[in-house]
Amino acid sequence: METMNAEIFTLTYGSMVRQLLVDTEDVEEVNKQLDKMGYNIGVRLIDEFLAKSKINKCVDFRDSAEKLAKVGFKMFLNTTASVTSWNAEGTECSLILEDNPMTDFVELPEGCSRKLRYCNLLCGVIRGALRMVNLNVSCNFVQDVLWDDPVSELRLKLISTGAENYPFKDDD
Amino acid sequence: MTITCAAVVGRANNPLYLEACKPASDEEVLKYHYVVHCALDTVEEKVALRTQPGEIADSYLGMLYPTEDHKVYGYVSNTSIKFIFVVEEPAPKDEDMRALFKRFHAAFIDVVSNPFYEIGQPITSTSFDASVRTIVTTV
Repeated sequence: METMNAEIFTLTYGSMVRQLLVDTEDVEEVNKQLDKMGYNIGVRLIDEFLAKSKINKCVDFRDSAEKLAKVGFKMFLNTTASVTSWNAEGTECSLILEDNPMTDFVELPEGCSRKLRYCNLLCGVIRGALRMVNLNVSCNFVQDVLWDDPVSELRLKLISTGAENYPFKDDD
Repeated sequence: MTITCAAVVGRANNPLYLEACKPASDEEVLKYHYVVHCALDTVEEKVALRTQPGEIADSYLGMLYPTEDHKVYGYVSNTSIKFIFVVEEPAPKDEDMRALFKRFHAAFIDVVSNPFYEIGQPITSTSFDASVRTIVTTV
């Protein structure tokens, strides 16, 4: 696996968020843009993830969430998340991130705390990646260290599972 | 050795940060501003003196000047950011001051790495305040 300097990644992401904020001046718009960007990254990243990690097919959503938290985060952010707070049907869970390299040194300006979802790109990535394996999920931050919470918590909800459609028919 | 005041001054000699380390009245804070301002002249002198060919520039400037109840120490980074400590008796050792300035510089680097901090603006970060407090009290 190739690695890169975490600081250059942190600083690049930081300057991107800052520029978005300066250009649009609307915090909700910035959140939306970050989510869109993340989605585009996610639909491409999933192939690399599946190729490099060589994991087997996941049995159910629980398995997918575990693999995402342990293997996915480790591979791309060099940090692991823990999966907790499953709901009764097993369709919703929380990913707890204790340290996140994207938020090193960052302090949100006045008026943005609780409104700016700084790591919204991550939500988009997860949504895009899982969409490509036929899992429609919604993902958003409920706690964030930049909002002075103790940890960052991502709430992952499974909305639907797309049917496994193959591009060719069986009887050809 | 107690540090009474820590200050960071920018490239254009604009104050970026000044913190009095024990609770001080407004008058005393003004006095510290004045002391740091006077120290800047000495900083410029020292910086001008040391740019001789063949000499490696040292960031640590040593004692800038003594007054009746305290001494002023300076350190300048390669980007012309000046760090000043106002220290009470007894006089600290050189190595101690160098170590302190290194930590001060490191805390400043963390602030600058924040994408939302505008270079040249006064520092309002609470985590920088906390780091400086730790540096100054664990002397």
